[in-house]
Amino acid sequence: MTDTVTLTIDGHEVTVPKGTSLLHAAETLGTEVPHYCYHPGLTAPAQCRICLVEVEGAPKLQPSCVTMAQDGQVVHTDSPAAKRMRQGVLEFYLVNHPLDCPICDMSGECMLQDYVFDEGREKGRSREPKRVFGRDDFGGDVLYYGDRCVMCTRCVRFMDEVARDSRLTVVERGSRAVIDTFFDRGLEGASFAGNVVDICPVGALVSKDFLHKARAWDLDHTPSVCPNCSQGCNIELHTRDNLVQRLKPRENQEVNGHWMCDYGRANYEWMNRPGRLEEPAAGRGAKRRRVDWKSALEHLFVQLRAGVGAEVKVVGSAAASNEALAALAAVAGEAGEVSSRVFRSPRAADEVPLPGFPLLVRRHDLAPNVDGAGLLGFERTGDDEAKGGLEDVAGHDGVLFVLGDELADRNEDFGAAAGLYVYLGAFDSPAARNADYVLPVTTFAEEEGSFVNAQGRVQRYRQGLQSPGSARPAWLVLGALAAALGGHGTPATAADVFAGLVAAHAAFAGLTWDALGDRGAALRTEAVHG
Amino acid sequence: MAISVKVMRRPEAGRTSYMRATLKGMSLTFRHMVRPTKVTLEYPEEQPDLHPRWRGTHRMEVHADGRPKCVACGLCPTVCPANCIRLVGGEDDQGNRYPIVYEIDEFRCIFCGMCQEVCPVEAIHVGQHFENAEYTRDRFVYDLDRLMEQDHPVTLLWDPSDPRSE
Repeated sequence: MTDTVTLTIDGHEVTVPKGTSLLHAAETLGTEVPHYCYHPGLTAPAQCRICLVEVEGAPKLQPSCVTMAQDGQVVHTDSPAAKRMRQGVLEFYLVNHPLDCPICDMSGECMLQDYVFDEGREKGRSREPKRVFGRDDFGGDVLYYGDRCVMCTRCVRFMDEVARDSRLTVVERGSRAVIDTFFDRGLEGASFAGNVVDICPVGALVSKDFLHKARAWDLDHTPSVCPNCSQGCNIELHTRDNLVQRLKPRENQEVNGHWMCDYGRANYEWMNRPGRLEEPAAGRGAKRRRVDWKSALEHLFVQLRAGVGAEVKVVGSAAASNEALAALAAVAGEAGEVSSRVFRSPRAADEVPLPGFPLLVRRHDLAPNVDGAGLLGFERTGDDEAKGGLEDVAGHDGVLFVLGDELADRNEDFGAAAGLYVYLGAFDSPAARNADYVLPVTTFAEEEGSFVNAQGRVQRYRQGLQSPGSARPAWLVLGALAAALGGHGTPATAADVFAGLVAAHAAFAGLTWDALGDRGAALRTEAVHG
Repeated sequence: MAISVKVMRRPEAGRTSYMRATLKGMSLTFRHMVRPTKVTLEYPEEQPDLHPRWRGTHRMEVHADGRPKCVACGLCPTVCPANCIRLVGGEDDQGNRYPIVYEIDEFRCIFCGMCQEVCPVEAIHVGQHFENAEYTRDRFVYDLDRLMEQDHPVTLLWDPSDPRSE
């Protein structure tokens, strides 16, 4: 018995593993069979009837999402019979679907729009008035437009099978059928309900937060990693006008499947926060003046080289990339004796698992790179709200580096005794008043880099926004400084810094920037933090 | 094919008279003096007749209750080849989608009329209008209120009785 089958689809022979659906088999040939109710992360009820294909020998058309490929099968996805059927099914969908694409948020990424545009009739023949339901607030971030619904029940199945929290159901029958919640309970308080908006093939379920905000075709998509907890769900940043407009999950079966949690999805406004540090500055307190990058780094380099041997304390951040943290550690190491490397990050009281996809958990750590910081020699300090823990750093009299920590709980005395205090951040802080150098760095959305997630997986994120003023990625600034101090070549890209990081830290051994790609790669050693 | 040169043979300068041609020209001049053909307009007392398909500055149609007809679908900024339309959509208190910001930079506009053609609700129109003088440049960025105030006739991009030119 072999465990593959060979069949013919549209005249092309294809070999697929046993148990592959015809829809998947066609996909391997690059043929997309239209489908609504089928979603790769859910069971297939074969009820939307749009994926019907012609199988030779079968008495009638077969739903390709549940018909398994068999040896010697001859399948036609584009035969006149299949096409005529799809056109008929689409016409039935449009009997009641309103033609409100101009005001529908899904317009531009709607599967009904696409299919009708590809294969539908030019004009409808229905003379009856369309049924009207209006819209229903499902609670949480979800709004339901019943008129637009095509009854694929993906949302119901997601809540039943993946979230395992049955809050949606189909009520009524036939053309009066709508999705509804149980009494007044709604989706309020559900942790993964935002995914029903993603999987809705039409504009029936839309996000309240995104409502009317931007058109789908205006958004730029940037592959990224969710920075809101240490799970590191693969996401896309959808940006427009240099602002992040929404976050959408990106499929990665090793990390988050097709899903992401509502907590991560909702927390993106901080990426658009105005009031940034834009120019480098030097001098303490009243003597602070703007300088350019060249003179700031040259003066800093001279001071660091002169003071070699001093005691160095470093405050990093679990929201900073591996590259930035490694470069920071390298600079501190060149500058003198490093007595402490700490970071502070918020922790949630409990984890939020997704029962139907156990790999995906909203983790305790609400910063993306806690594990990376740990591997690079940084230790957690402070409490679960990322406060406190810097008492010995505040009065340190040697060299002091702060990267990416806003020091919100510290006052203007922070670093007053330090011989040299360098503050790298995206925002100014009262505690940066005594800094000899204030260097503006980019935020997560404005730079390239990588994080290590809670599974010990190194994942890259890409630049989605333009940085303001002359803010530069921290790895670029610190990498140049480390290179000057260490006497080696200045890194030009995040890949260069990562290569240096791999060479310097055994935990990352064997990884290359290209191998990380868009899907990440697991570390060979187990992550230090559980 | 070889290049052929036609040699014009004219009388020598001293041996010809231009009297006949002069009289011919003068007769035309006298004819116009007696029976003039006028092509200029006494603008602004007289206004020109604009063609129905003349495409001038924009106008936003409004509903009877004064709301703009625009539903902020975003097709006009998408189709605009000059990228002169700025649109931010939102929802009003009756739950209707409407433009919070709708601005057209008439300096950038190339008056192609595609915004009017693409509009699904016949809200934005180019107009049969040409008197656009202003004292400052920034007045040429028309905002939503300004577009709704315009009352000039709108352009007919096609004959309504024969929209497909059949």
